[in-house]
Parts: sequence; structure tokens; C-alpha cells
Amino acid sequence: MEYVIEVENLKKSFGNKEVLRGISLKIKAGESYVVIGGSGSGKSVLIKCILGLIEPDGGIIKINGKDTSKMSQKELFKARLKCGVLYQGGALFDSLNVIDNVSFGLIYGYGMSQKEAYKIAIEKLESVDLDESVAKIYPAELSGGMSKRVALARAIATDPSIIFFDEPTTGLDPITSGTINDLIVRCTKEMGISAVSITHDINSLKHISDRVGLLFNGSFIWEGTNKELMSTDNPYVVQFINGNAKGPFTEK
Amino acid sequence: MILDRIGRLFISFLASIGNLTLFSIKSLAAGFMPPYYWKQILGQAVQIGYFSLPVVGMTALFTGMAMTLQCYAGFSEFTAENAIPSVVMIAMTRELGPVLAALMVAGRLGASMTAEIGTMKVTEQIDALTTLSVNSYKYLVFPRILTGTLLLPFLVFIDDVIGILGGYLVGVYYLNFNAANYIRNTFESMATWDIVSGLIKGAVFGFVICLMGCYQGYSSKGGAEGVGRATTNSVVASSIMILLLDGILTFVLF
Ligand SMILES: Nc1ncnc2c1ncn2[C@@H]1O[C@H](COP(=O)(O)OP(=O)(O)O)[C@@H](O)[C@H]1O
Ligand SMILES: [Mg+2]
Repeated sequence: MEYVIEVENLKKSFGNKEVLRGISLKIKAGESYVVIGGSGSGKSVLIKCILGLIEPDGGIIKINGKDTSKMSQKELFKARLKCGVLYQGGALFDSLNVIDNVSFGLIYGYGMSQKEAYKIAIEKLESVDLDESVAKIYPAELSGGMSKRVALARAIATDPSIIFFDEPTTGLDPITSGTINDLIVRCTKEMGISAVSITHDINSLKHISDRVGLLFNGSFIWEGTNKELMSTDNPYVVQFINGNAKGPFTEK
Repeated sequence: MILDRIGRLFISFLASIGNLTLFSIKSLAAGFMPPYYWKQILGQAVQIGYFSLPVVGMTALFTGMAMTLQCYAGFSEFTAENAIPSVVMIAMTRELGPVLAALMVAGRLGASMTAEIGTMKVTEQIDALTTLSVNSYKYLVFPRILTGTLLLPFLVFIDDVIGILGGYLVGVYYLNFNAANYIRNTFESMATWDIVSGLIKGAVFGFVICLMGCYQGYSSKGGAEGVGRATTNSVVASSIMILLLDGILTFVLF
């Protein structure tokens, strides 16, 4: 079996606060894996460690079979181009308009000419149901749903083999969330891209996941497929899915 | 107790100097390696050079004027009015030009650098740069440090000229100096080294302001409030550094 991402015994603390206490995770090619867990449980830290944005304290991370700690700076940057990221707040560059945002990785990463990059950028905008008319708009003027779309277009612009979605629907209304979910499914399933997503949104979770891991207290306390998620009687999962105030999550 | 506090303060001071040094090495090493982001560098040059001119020019003009008046009040007691043009000249080129320009730039530009980069940091735009395979030190920090270092001397020079002009205006039109004499006295006391040393100071201050501005931006944590705090830190820290380095440089250069 080929894994696009392998994480073994990943550890990370900030000061004396242990955020990740030995996480292991394997993601197959084409698979959509979703990490769930309470706010501040370390979900974002986990994907930032995988992307090399945060240096882990211990453990092994492999992307497409290659140990990232053994990569040179150059290889690492190259590997990152094959990882698209949709950040929690979109993280569009404020100082650049939509088309420059979407074509950024193509120009700076792949060294394409502006003309070439713009052409691809417009294709990518179309694949998230936007068009040329938004090209010259700056991120500050976009609505929440639109800026998520633009961010998604930027994430897929470099033709990544893995995409990371950090709370893609948080802060959006249910209908806009639904369209973003559809887009995520389209980008991953139809293009065969593997995905690692973080979400609190149960609807989104049912929609986009193949496999799910529940993060609690620095490690996965439950892992299973989308189907198992709905039928499990694991008290943690049950509490999380149903949003109960009482349960093992909130016990001390 | 007190010793303990002082010791801890001293250690944290050393640690921040260390971090700052590391930060500048990282940025310079990244920046001097091709490819070069000319668009970024040019954009910063416009920011620093052009948009700082009005503020810097205004302060220089009024400082030059005020200094001439003050000198007159003092010097006329000893009938030493003739020394005024040269005192203004020396004070402007050696001290006030560089320090004033630097303080204004720290307040205007250093602050906005920290706010901009800090916002990028807390909204994950810097992470996004990295995952789109751009070294953020090269893209954000180096252009600012480079243009700051190269352009502050230019601002200092403008500052010198306008300050001296301010002195001339007050001297000739308010204190009724003879214009020709005033000009002759001014130029007679002009020394290349005074001017050059001021420009050197300017370059050092420019480097420090932009370095501090970027560094504090990168250190921002936790949303808008964190960015605000970092911005204040940036201005305070660069202002202190400017005055401290001014003392040291004056000592070294003369
Ligand atoms: N750079 C950092 N420095 C210190 N603490 C951090 C940093 N990044 C995250 N943390 C802490 O790690 C914990 C997990 O954060 P995060 O992964 O963002 O949570 P979430 O699961 O909501 O995405 C939080 O308590 C946060 O305060
Ligand atoms: Mg998060």
C-alpha cells in the first residue's frame, strides 16, 4: 500500500504544555482523512508539523515516502508545492488581488510567466465556480464564501497531490458551507487528490470523509471509517457528534 | 530580589539580541541568494523613500527654524551671532538630521512594517507564503531591510538640506542676518566628514528600524491585540536603539 503521508509518534509541546503526545497517522493515496477534536486540541498544530511550518519535538514525518527531516531546504519547498493548503481564515495575501493570489505558487514556485500562470489561475477559478470578473478584486472586498473559494483555487493551482483543509466551513452559513463541501469533494474525489481536513462541522464531516480520527488530549482516541463513525458507541465520539454538554470530553 | 530581577532582565535582553541577530542573518542570507524579488524591493523603495519625505521634511524644517532661534537667544548674549550658521550646519548634519529622520521613520514606517507583517503572521499569510514555496524572509524582510539601509541616508541628506534651509529662513527673514553672509558662513563650515558621518548613521538607523519592524512583526502572537502590542514594541525598541547607537556611533566616528 502506498501512503502519501506517514506520521509516526509525533510530539510537540509549547513551553510545558504538551499539545501532541505521540501521534501516528497514515493516509493512503486518494483518501480523504478528517481530523476532529475540540478547539485548541492541536489539530492545526498537527498539520503545521506535517507541512514543516512548526518544528516537531520528536517523531517521523514522511511525505510521499520521503522523510521530511532528511530533505534539503530546496526539496522541502518543492515537496510543499505538491501540498495545497486551505488555511483557517483563507490567508489570502491582502496586498495582492485575486488573480495574483491564485497564480502566486505558479509564478514563484514553478517559475511560470505571468501570462501562463494567469491562464491556469482563471481555469482554477472556474473550477471553484468563479470567473474572470473577480480577478482584479482585493481579498478585503470578498465575502466569506468567495474568499474561501479563492483560497481553494489558490490551493489547487499548483496541482497538489495532497490538500490540507483547516476548518474550511467555519464561519460560513449552512448553504455556503454546503457548496464548499461540494467543492472539496469535487477537488478531491474527481481529481484524485488526497486530503487531510480539520472540521467541527458534522455535516461537512459526513460529506467529505473517508476516514476520521478524533483528537483528544494530544492523541487520537478513536479512528475509523465514515460508516463506523455513525454507528460507533465510543462515548467520546458519541458526545462529539451529538454535541452533548455531558460526557467524557467535559469530565475532569 | 533586585539582583535576581536585574539578572533575569539582562538574560532576556541578551536572548533578544541573539534572536535579532539570528533573524538578520537568516534574512540577509536568504536575500542575497538569487532569484531576486525586484518587484518587492522596488515597492518598498517607494514606500520608504517617497512616502516618508513629507514627514521627514516637515520636522527638519521646523527643527532648523527652532534651533536657529534658540541659538540666537543664547549667542546674542556673547555677540557670537555669526557662529549660528555653522552651529546649525554641524548640528544638523552630524546629529539632528540622522536622528530626527530615523525617529520619524521609526514612528511611521517601522510601525507600519510591524503592523503589516504582524497581521500576515497571525492570519497565516506567512505560512501561506512558505507552503507556496516562497521564503518569507526573502520576500518580506530582505526588501525592507535593504531599501531601509540604502534609502535612509538619502532621507538624512534631504533632512540636512531642509533643516539648514529652515535655519536660513529664520536667520535672514526674522533675525535680519545678511543673506550673503549667512550663506557664506554656512558653506564655510561645511565639512564632508560631518555630512558623510551623518549618512553612515542614517544607514545604520535604517537597518535597525527595518530589522526591528520586521522582527516584531514575526513575533506577533494572538490576533489583532498581539499585533498592536508588537507595533508599540517595535517603535519603542527602535527609538531606544537609535538613541543608543547614536551615542555609540558619535563616539566611534569622531
Ligand atoms: N506557535 C505557538 N506557540 C505557542 N502555543 C501554540 C502555538 N500554536 C499553537 N499553540 C497552542 O497549541 C494548542 C493547539 O492549537 P491549535 O492546533 O491551533 O488548536 P486547534 O485544534 O483549535 O486547531 C493551543 O492551546 C494553542 O494555544
Ligand atoms: Mg485550528
